[in-house]
Amino acid sequence: MAAYFIRRILLTIPTFIGVTLIVFMVTRIVPGGPLERRIMELRQASAAQGGSSTSIVDSTTMIPKTALNELKKTFNLDKPAYVAYTIWLKNVFQLDLGRSFFYKEPVWEMITSRFPISLTFGLTGFILSYLVCIPLGIYKALKHGTPFDFVSSAIVFIGYSIPGWAMGVLLLLFLASGRFVDVMPLGGIRSSSFDELPKMVQSSEEVEGVSDEFGTFQWERLTPISKFVDIVYHMILPVFCYMLSGFATLTVLMKNALMENLGQDYVRTGFAKGLSERRVIFMHTLRNSLIPLATGLGHALSLIMAGSYLIEFVFNIDGLGYLGFNAIVQRDYAVVMGILVINTMLTLFGNIFSDVLYALIDPRIRFD
Amino acid sequence: MNANRTQNDLSKQKPLLEVRDLRTYFRVEGGIAKAVDGVSFDVYPDEVIGIVGESGSGKSVTSLSIMRLIPDPPGFIAGGEIWFNEQNLIDLTYDEMRRVRGNEIGMIFQEPMTALNPVFTVGMQVMEAVRTHQKVSRKEARNLAIEILDKVGILDADRRLKDYPHQFSGGMRQRVMLAMALVCNPQLLIADEPTTALDVTTQAQILDLMLELKAEHERGSIMLITHDLGVVAETCDRVIVMYGGKLQEMGSVEQIFEDPQHPYTRGLLDSLPSHQRPGEDRLRAIPGNVPSIMDLPSGCKFCTRCEDAVIGCENTEPPLYDVGEGHLVRCHLLEDAVK
Repeated sequence: MAAYFIRRILLTIPTFIGVTLIVFMVTRIVPGGPLERRIMELRQASAAQGGSSTSIVDSTTMIPKTALNELKKTFNLDKPAYVAYTIWLKNVFQLDLGRSFFYKEPVWEMITSRFPISLTFGLTGFILSYLVCIPLGIYKALKHGTPFDFVSSAIVFIGYSIPGWAMGVLLLLFLASGRFVDVMPLGGIRSSSFDELPKMVQSSEEVEGVSDEFGTFQWERLTPISKFVDIVYHMILPVFCYMLSGFATLTVLMKNALMENLGQDYVRTGFAKGLSERRVIFMHTLRNSLIPLATGLGHALSLIMAGSYLIEFVFNIDGLGYLGFNAIVQRDYAVVMGILVINTMLTLFGNIFSDVLYALIDPRIRFD
Repeated sequence: MNANRTQNDLSKQKPLLEVRDLRTYFRVEGGIAKAVDGVSFDVYPDEVIGIVGESGSGKSVTSLSIMRLIPDPPGFIAGGEIWFNEQNLIDLTYDEMRRVRGNEIGMIFQEPMTALNPVFTVGMQVMEAVRTHQKVSRKEARNLAIEILDKVGILDADRRLKDYPHQFSGGMRQRVMLAMALVCNPQLLIADEPTTALDVTTQAQILDLMLELKAEHERGSIMLITHDLGVVAETCDRVIVMYGGKLQEMGSVEQIFEDPQHPYTRGLLDSLPSHQRPGEDRLRAIPGNVPSIMDLPSGCKFCTRCEDAVIGCENTEPPLYDVGEGHLVRCHLLEDAVK
């Protein structure tokens, strides 16, 4: 089995190269790349100067060849694509993801600084999903065909059919905009002013106590409990949206797996041995029913850490998803490629992790 | 085997299990399916009783009813009594019944491939049976499990305790099932088609093993449910023939095999390859198919396929006639013979 996993790990290398090569080539081909953007910026700058004849460039003339070549060099566009890719790949193996074209910051630092934010949201949503969906699925399986089963299925499927970010917009409109009720924050990961703090925290803190000498709100001065409450307050809506789509899948998967296992012969054997219903269900069938769920766990790894572009966008959370979303819009290819590296690695190792879990939970599965 | 015992010998002793007018029905679309409809029989200590019949005859439902393992819904025990150890199993509470299952009555099933839980070790599953019924330490349970696995012929039982069911062959798994059913020393073993899914050599080994273990257990009985008359002839003392949810004929192995009275029993015996008559190049079969349990005739259940049926068979259910020495037959044709 060790041989199998070593092979799997080695196979991640060509897969990784394949994935990044394709995206890298696409960034070279599609129009509107960093070069064009920079030229456009320069033209706009010269146009703003009123088209004076002393300016080296104006809206009508071409950018001088030397400047253009200089620009090309910074983006490695002067070299053939395969050479540029090789340079990029070599840098990646040295953990150098380059600098953002837009922010001029090292991509590696941009990603690592946002990692904890996405991880917090992803992990919370993930744990809550499993904590809710597994018991719900079990209960639905045991109550199959009852009104509870029908109603909960309906609710779960309505949730499934609404994209998380769309639900986010609705929730913000109804709960945070003030047009209806104003009980939730509009976004962000923590309050930026005293007024934004949840009522509970406001009553326990003094305005003066959490402001500096200029009267500006200082979040760091909150007590640890207040900080925690404030973070949870900001996490409720986004985490709910994170969970929404996976919720139905997990619940129904759990329910169906358990129902299928309850009909298996070994259940009858268990009862024939004199086992209690509780033991048959929670010991014998549950362990078998968790097998399909465990496979999802590895896949979830990348979802947990990579964040969600649209949900982070809607809730104005400065996480990995938001970073990646903006990078694509701005054609900030260094960041796009950097995030691709992280996501690819997470997916590849998530799949291997799934296999490990599979082998651990189901003794019949041995990879040889 | 006690093949020479007659019903008269048996009736002197107290039955281990008395089934009286057992009726097990299933709610199905369009009504009630009477899977078992008024079955009565006794199982005596130290005997092997066979229940034979085609699929849908009610033989498996009878055995599951005794264990109270009928899935409810859709099934339910509509009436009757099942007396075992001075108690009517039908009246027991759920927890009282649990103490009977696996402890006083053990049961094994047709499919050893699926009857064991694939994700737990064989040792855990056998030890679980012990620890459910006996207050023993983990170590004692382990020793009991090794002992019983050794007894059912699992080599190197100590080491194989840690193996999972998929690491055993079908025959070996059925041995494990047997170990699990017998580890608490039950007085009655119900074997529901225990060899149907196994190849012929393995079948014989499992049957021999069951008889061997029974011989060790004083007063222990086996109820063997099968459709294989060959198996019955080799292992059973008495035979019950079921058809359409009703007991059609009951008697000792000799009575049934040498002097079958019911046209259905005769049909079953005639369809055995060994009963093929000279000159026949095809096996004989009972004409027609088993009718759906929903549209059984109101009279004799077998009349639709019976070659000897006369006018009136389809209207009234024949009673069980005693043709001598406890040989019971449910057939109108015997009305005159008995009188």
